[in-house]
Amino acid sequence: MFKKKINSLDRSTNVDIFIKRPDKYREIENFSLSADNLITMGACASYTPASFKKNNLSLLFTKFDRIINFDKVNKTITVEAGIKLSSLLNFTLKENLWLPQIPGYPLITLGGAVAANTHGKSSDTHGTIRNQIKSILIFHKTHGWMNLSDKENKSIFDLTIGGFGLTGTIVNVELELIEITGYNFTTTIEKVTSAKNAIEKLSKKDFTNLFSYSWNKTFNKKFGEGLIFNNKINENEKKLPFKKMNFKNNNLNKYFALNLWNKYSIKFFQSIYYNYFTIYKNKTNNDSFENVLFPYAGKETYFHMYGQKGFIESQLLVPLDKVDIFLDELEHLINVNEPEIVLFSIKKIIGKELFLRFENTGICFTFDFSKNEKNLNFLDKLDILCIKHSVKPSIIKDSRLNSNTIKKCYNDFENFKKNLSEFDNKKIYRSELSDRIGI
Amino acid sequence: MNYLIVGASSGLGRDLAYTLSKNLCNLTLISRDKRDLDAMKSDLEYKYKIKINSYAVDLASKDSIISFLNDNEIELSTIDGVLFPIGMMSENDSVTQIKDEINQINNANFLSIVKFIEKIIPIFKEKQKGTIVGFGSMASSLGREKNMIYSASKRALNSYFESLSATFINSNINVQFYILGYLDTNLAFNKKLILPKASTKQLAIKVFKNIDKNNIKKYYPGWWGLISYFISLIPFFIIKKLFKFIK
Repeated sequence: MFKKKINSLDRSTNVDIFIKRPDKYREIENFSLSADNLITMGACASYTPASFKKNNLSLLFTKFDRIINFDKVNKTITVEAGIKLSSLLNFTLKENLWLPQIPGYPLITLGGAVAANTHGKSSDTHGTIRNQIKSILIFHKTHGWMNLSDKENKSIFDLTIGGFGLTGTIVNVELELIEITGYNFTTTIEKVTSAKNAIEKLSKKDFTNLFSYSWNKTFNKKFGEGLIFNNKINENEKKLPFKKMNFKNNNLNKYFALNLWNKYSIKFFQSIYYNYFTIYKNKTNNDSFENVLFPYAGKETYFHMYGQKGFIESQLLVPLDKVDIFLDELEHLINVNEPEIVLFSIKKIIGKELFLRFENTGICFTFDFSKNEKNLNFLDKLDILCIKHSVKPSIIKDSRLNSNTIKKCYNDFENFKKNLSEFDNKKIYRSELSDRIGI
Repeated sequence: MNYLIVGASSGLGRDLAYTLSKNLCNLTLISRDKRDLDAMKSDLEYKYKIKINSYAVDLASKDSIISFLNDNEIELSTIDGVLFPIGMMSENDSVTQIKDEINQINNANFLSIVKFIEKIIPIFKEKQKGTIVGFGSMASSLGREKNMIYSASKRALNSYFESLSATFINSNINVQFYILGYLDTNLAFNKKLILPKASTKQLAIKVFKNIDKNNIKKYYPGWWGLISYFISLIPFFIIKKLFKFIK
């Protein structure tokens, strides 16, 4: 077996690993049994190194991408976990059904989405993918095949959703689908004068069939001046035949020789982006399903522009009662430290806290930074602010986070660790991510 | 049209099943593991609304093959074409290590196909038409230290298909044989090979396009034909020297 060099998407980690790609059920068993430690790999599109570990085996699961069962009447589907989310939607949308909790890149696999408990653009209505999962089939090296659901092996079911693949290989997933009332969107754009103004406006919205999020400038006197995008499902177009989505496999892992994001280029691009939507583009536009749901598809150059050193995404979930004070202190911290923030976005999210899931009811802030000393120093201070206000930083997004920060921000950290250890005391399934955060 | 795919659950077999399904052919799939077949059957039926039958048969076991052929004569009588994208290799396939696996490798790569064809030919003769597609390997072009039984059984298969072509040259029974170089299957996954791997999806499309043609013998990718031709020109004393050099 040959080693392969692999990068995390944020380029924080570059290591040699072993990869095997099972395409038969007995190969899942044989490959798992032959390894001391392993982890399952889907699209390998996580920002952090969640699907591999140096010198360990990764089971590339992309051949397990089939529909096992579909019940249109009861709106349920069972699919193998290696299916790409875009392929899953291509099938369900023809039946006027969908899975709303999908992250912004179409080639991400269902297993990866379950292991990260992802949310989508409608996080304020549908919460995280946990809400659609009825049951899961896993294979574990020592426990073998296990059915997981609320009624069967519930404790492992709970550990598996948002469990970073540490309970074994997620082989198939039964989902409860949601009816969709149209395939296209009408997008309206509103100006906001500050981040606070964006939160006020987002908080007042009725989110039925509406996905709203903000894009905010980061180099401005008014912190967070920007735009709110409201994507409303265009119900008039329900009767149009669904057009299959096709996405090219653009190499996310490419990068330019130099980091092109600096104070000047960020100002320049943000100014162009803001003016494009406020001056040139109509305030109401028709948008396709793929443009709204998969905003990063076809825009991979954004990631390439961070250069060889890569980037850091900090996604923070702030409880509703802490939003005002957190925002005040964040604004002060940014004014003092002047980090170079390439992207800043805000949306609402609903959910319940459990284990290491990035889930709660609150406001979700997303920041992208290029990797330099000034930004890293700022992020260290931001961690302290998160601890102070019980803000959850997303573990699957930020490769910097250490065990200490996560322990203090996630009340259930020790419970997760204890329950996982009771299930698998040898820590057979592990990744660079799990080792770094000490689980 | 109804096609039988023997060795359907992975690699080329899987892609052939998807290509034929997309073109609305009904399929009978044969492979070793019921779990793989069930997953393929449900996926193909939901996506393409076609009829799929599947049977778990251990193609390395003579008894299993004979039992299947005797129990499913009615099912086989509906078949319009049969494809054999089957290949079994073993890490122990060398002169001293092979031991118990000789029969299994030979059955899977050669004798199982002979048994199937023996059963199917009378059906095609009665229908006065039918298609038989076999898949050989470049490994059979030259003897080797590893995969000895595999390459020997593929060479036997090559000869058997030449005989089939000769037998049915003036009939409506199409005999097709593809000799394959490196393919992007699990056998070659993540392996450093000296020449590029070809796509099984592209090959499956090519096989489907040719499915009504008679007496085909093709290399895939095509340039392996040139390599095979040059190998056949090299005198054995030079091949001996090459073996010595490699060792």
